[in-house]
Amino acid sequence: MNPCLCFAQERTFQEKVGVLLRGSIAAGFPSPAEEVLSDCLTLDELLISNRVATFFVRVTGDSMVEAGILPGDLVIVDRSLAPRHGDVVIAEVDGAWTMKIYHQQNGLITLVAANPHYAPIRPKESLRIAGVVTGVVRKYR
Amino acid sequence: MSQSPLTLHSWPRAILHVDADAFFASCEQALHPELRGKPVITGQERGIVAAASYEAKQRGVQRGMRLHEVRRVCPDAVILPNDYETYSLFSLRLFDLLRRFTPQVEEYSIDEAFADLTGMRRVLRGSYGEIAQRIQQTIAQELGISVSIGVSLSKVLAKIASRWKKPQGVTAIPGREIHHYLAHLPVEKVWGIGPNTAALLAKQGVATALEFARCQEAFIRQHYPKPILDLWYELNGESVLPVLTDPKTQYQSITKGRTFTPPRAEADYLFAQLVQNLEDACLKARRYHLAARRLVVLLRTQDFQERGIELRLTRASAYPSELLEVLRTGFATLYQPRNLYRATGVVLTYLVPQRNVQFNLFEDAVRVEQMARVYQAMDHLAERYGRHTVHLGASLLARRQAQHAGERGTPVPRQQDLVQGETRTQHLGLPRMEIAV
Repeated sequence: MNPCLCFAQERTFQEKVGVLLRGSIAAGFPSPAEEVLSDCLTLDELLISNRVATFFVRVTGDSMVEAGILPGDLVIVDRSLAPRHGDVVIAEVDGAWTMKIYHQQNGLITLVAANPHYAPIRPKESLRIAGVVTGVVRKYR
Repeated sequence: MSQSPLTLHSWPRAILHVDADAFFASCEQALHPELRGKPVITGQERGIVAAASYEAKQRGVQRGMRLHEVRRVCPDAVILPNDYETYSLFSLRLFDLLRRFTPQVEEYSIDEAFADLTGMRRVLRGSYGEIAQRIQQTIAQELGISVSIGVSLSKVLAKIASRWKKPQGVTAIPGREIHHYLAHLPVEKVWGIGPNTAALLAKQGVATALEFARCQEAFIRQHYPKPILDLWYELNGESVLPVLTDPKTQYQSITKGRTFTPPRAEADYLFAQLVQNLEDACLKARRYHLAARRLVVLLRTQDFQERGIELRLTRASAYPSELLEVLRTGFATLYQPRNLYRATGVVLTYLVPQRNVQFNLFEDAVRVEQMARVYQAMDHLAERYGRHTVHLGASLLARRQAQHAGERGTPVPRQQDLVQGETRTQHLGLPRMEIAV
């Protein structure tokens, strides 16, 4: 990653920020509850760290069900992360796109499903990791 | 012509110009990875090429070409509708990515940006060329699109540099090398020099950018207006055009228009399209707290003839319900029943800040105040449920039908298969990769 100073605000995206409305300033000790709430993390902030490089994909297949990723879920993908052993990745293997768990042992890369019906994939001709899945979103209501 | 450099300074300033390669097509290829390396065209709903991937360009496809010609020249071209929402997302991300490297970023257009890198070599740990290279790689990695980058002593030179090698080029032009890049560049290809200026220069024996740059300053000052003199400085390695970082907050006018397929002649349909244009324009005006003193109504016929009329308003306004009758008057004047029209448009002009609007003597201030509150409520609903959740009945005809019938009306993938919680007008602010996993 770039060794660079982080200057600017991303002013472009509408972020629903949790803002604490402070009441009138009274004399005496502040309420402890008030102090604790002043650093709110929104769901956006929780799920997205590098906004510029974050995309999402709708899951249609069932190859990752045992990892809790079901058809219909949204996966949040960060294109700027380098994959680590154990990460769920979106990859292009020998020309086809897939979502699997990245295994790296002794320099050998295998893509493993979370479903016994799918065999592990060992890339033959090409492997391109498009990004790392950083979160899964499933909305019920 | 002497071979001496135009300036002896290497890098008094460093201005970067980022120019996305076939931007719309690149975005589509980023989200549909199976389209990489293929000839991709966008612009289906307009019937002409808006963007063509470099693979398509190599086969002879050009921007502005009609689609039937594309099919003749490149039968296996993949033709897609424009997905403006997605392209906007990518554009904003491109600018934010550049802001990681420097706070001075100018959002020049949807697919071009300038950035001022002066003094950043130590902080970013590299030469300006290396920094540009790194920016290009970061964009490719994080956004998945291809850009060409130029870096030089001024904006004009940076633009020449980015165009020097396309696609995926990185060109750095330090002061001592400027003359090499200008020697064979026709002067009308310089940003800001149009055909008239080029013709006048030709009469004075100046045909290339280098010849122009080598003219005496006094000569340029005497025969040409200040903007041309500015270009002369810029070409000579002196930066006079600053990188404009402020976001656009001022507007001279707001134009909203739409094309529809097939062309139509019915008055009520055309008027509904105009009301839709008016609602779009007024929404934007209200967003920037502006009101218009004049309204322009535009109609474009099937054979691209355009007619317009400008109407003066008694009071500045940004409320469609108030402007409806004015719009109707304008439309009645322009409309010719036997013509087929392909597009309508509305321009709000002579814009003033909303708080400066004064009522005229004959107005009912209470009624206007009530209207303001109605629109405040509508805008609030729009924020929550999507724009134009509540709209005038007069635009219903236009909103209810697809804008483009038949083949031209291929829906944009992003608007299909919406995520639970998304509506037709409100989508997650993240691009969606269209892959099956």
